[in-house]
Amino acid sequence: MTARDVFIQQVTNGLTIGMIYALIALGYTIVYGIIQLINFAHGEVFMVGAYLSLFAFTLFSGFFSGTGGSIFFLVLIFLFAMLGTSLIGLMVERFAYRPLRGAPRLAPLITAIGVSFLLQNSVMLIFGPTDKSFPNLIETKKISFGAVTLTNLQILIAVVSLSLMIILHIFIKKTKTGKAMRALADDREAASLVGINTNRIISIAFLIGSALAGAGGVMFGMYYHTINFHDGYLAGLKAFTAAVFGGIGNIPGAMIGGLLLGILEGVSAGYLSSEWKNVFAFLILILILLFRPSGLLGSRVVKKV
Amino acid sequence: MSGCGQASNSKVIKIGCAAPLTGDQAQIGIDKCRAVKLAVQQANEKGIGVPGYTFEVLSLDDQHNPAQAVNVAKKFVSDPDVIAVVGHFNSSCTKPASAIYHEAGMTQITATSTNPELSKQGFKTFFRIAATDDVQGPKGAEFAAHHLAAKKVFIIDDKTTYGKGLADEFERKSKSLGVEVLGHEGITQGDKDFTPLLTKIKSLNPDLIYFGGIYPEGALLLRQARSLNLVSEFMGGDGLTTPVFVELASAEIAEGTYATMVGGDMKKVPSAQSFIKAYEAQYGEIGQWSAYGYDAANILIQAIQKAGKKNRAAVLDAMRQIPSFQGVTGEVVFDEKGDNKNQFIGIFKVEKGKFIYIGPAE
Repeated sequence: MTARDVFIQQVTNGLTIGMIYALIALGYTIVYGIIQLINFAHGEVFMVGAYLSLFAFTLFSGFFSGTGGSIFFLVLIFLFAMLGTSLIGLMVERFAYRPLRGAPRLAPLITAIGVSFLLQNSVMLIFGPTDKSFPNLIETKKISFGAVTLTNLQILIAVVSLSLMIILHIFIKKTKTGKAMRALADDREAASLVGINTNRIISIAFLIGSALAGAGGVMFGMYYHTINFHDGYLAGLKAFTAAVFGGIGNIPGAMIGGLLLGILEGVSAGYLSSEWKNVFAFLILILILLFRPSGLLGSRVVKKV
Repeated sequence: MSGCGQASNSKVIKIGCAAPLTGDQAQIGIDKCRAVKLAVQQANEKGIGVPGYTFEVLSLDDQHNPAQAVNVAKKFVSDPDVIAVVGHFNSSCTKPASAIYHEAGMTQITATSTNPELSKQGFKTFFRIAATDDVQGPKGAEFAAHHLAAKKVFIIDDKTTYGKGLADEFERKSKSLGVEVLGHEGITQGDKDFTPLLTKIKSLNPDLIYFGGIYPEGALLLRQARSLNLVSEFMGGDGLTTPVFVELASAEIAEGTYATMVGGDMKKVPSAQSFIKAYEAQYGEIGQWSAYGYDAANILIQAIQKAGKKNRAAVLDAMRQIPSFQGVTGEVVFDEKGDNKNQFIGIFKVEKGKFIYIGPAE
């Protein structure tokens, strides 16, 4: 492998995990943009997504011959996981955060940590405490460009993530609900004065964020092949870092933050030392908070969402 | 530290089992504690032990977290019915916990912790069955150099007491055998993505990757290496030798992985056959570590019977008087530090989805 090949490989690998960070980061940022809450349970929602897809696999695989190949089967698993996590997101908002609307900001934050424990331990009790082996939803194929190797999974992750991000962008910009979300982000009180049902819009924000995290969870399982009930913790923290990196509350910021974090992590671990991989990610968080607290693209701009 | 310890009147003698019972390493802990339970159940059925008393197992989860291991040790020590402990699993947990057992004068026998430092603390309460890493690491290096024709190796460890200790010993011996060590780097337990490190390793093109660590990370490393078309041989220590490693890596990818482990071919030990049968009838497929847990528990049961009473100090004395013990993993003879004098290391290889004993490591 030449030095150039190594670099391209590192960036490709970094981009892959960066896509997943970006999907999770979007959930943090959408919710923060609207109600200024850091939803620390969001990483767990992502983890639940991975488990739901595993559950869907065992549930549906009886109806389909073979394990992989069928696009329809794959789509079904994605939809199942995304639907499941959206419902969980909705319920968490309805029962854990809505009763605390108007309470000091610390109260929902602590509640979020509580919800996070609840989800983690529920998954542990339902699915068991050990690592679960994740089945091959599609047959893995390697594609080589000289010494650089890509798998079809990495391409799938890129295609699904980018499509979801584009759909989200169009939704926020073009639809009436999207417009209402932006209005809420600008000024919640004024939005309710002009007749926007704020509770409904907040629920939708949780629903969208959780669905994206669910999709991220499915791909996380497919990519790493093992899942564990505490996988949401570190992935959630990294995605939170990505959201702050890009500017919390800023949607394009979360996407760019996720991708950049993935690449920076990969390159720093590959060229400096792998022992410090996680340290680099959080070093970035500290540096951003110190020198540019509003993130790369800025968080307190007028059109946050 | 006597106090309440000897005051209990209950007719139960508890043997503690400490291991990770939840989390990514839960499987090996569960495998071990089940075997301890089986040994105790058999002793009760045969009426071995102290007349009038029945054995029970108290399994506690240390989550392979040293701080949690200390809590677990304190719980055992404060329960007057607990007379001795099989544990812990990980060296990083055994180390802080051993100080607490030492203070309480409670016998601790670890079936699995392999770090050499553990027995050098001067704790008379400490015993172990597993071979130490300063034997296991070099034996692995010898096998790699002699039988795998490894000329260039890259070493990875998980930065734990066990993983790093083992990898350091492997590195030292490899160098003295004239094998080129291209690098030695650490990864973090619980992390999932090792592609940056593996990409770097691929560009160095080693003959062998040696991993000092446990199977969850081992399986991920191997899987990610293969998807990067990194085809070097893959070898590790006894932290890999569990069927779950093969399951997580997939049988196809795990094929051909080497691992060192104390002990040889259990299939050739007659007493092991009835143990395997009994275990599998009760719990399903046997784990690689179950036999060590079984032996550890049986040694304790023998010591308790020898002591003839429910008393921690008497059991500790009896432990020192056991000349040798014929277990299912081979003979166990303790030296004055509590280490097993029998340090036979076998090489295991994944063939057709199972770890198979292929010969002594040399």
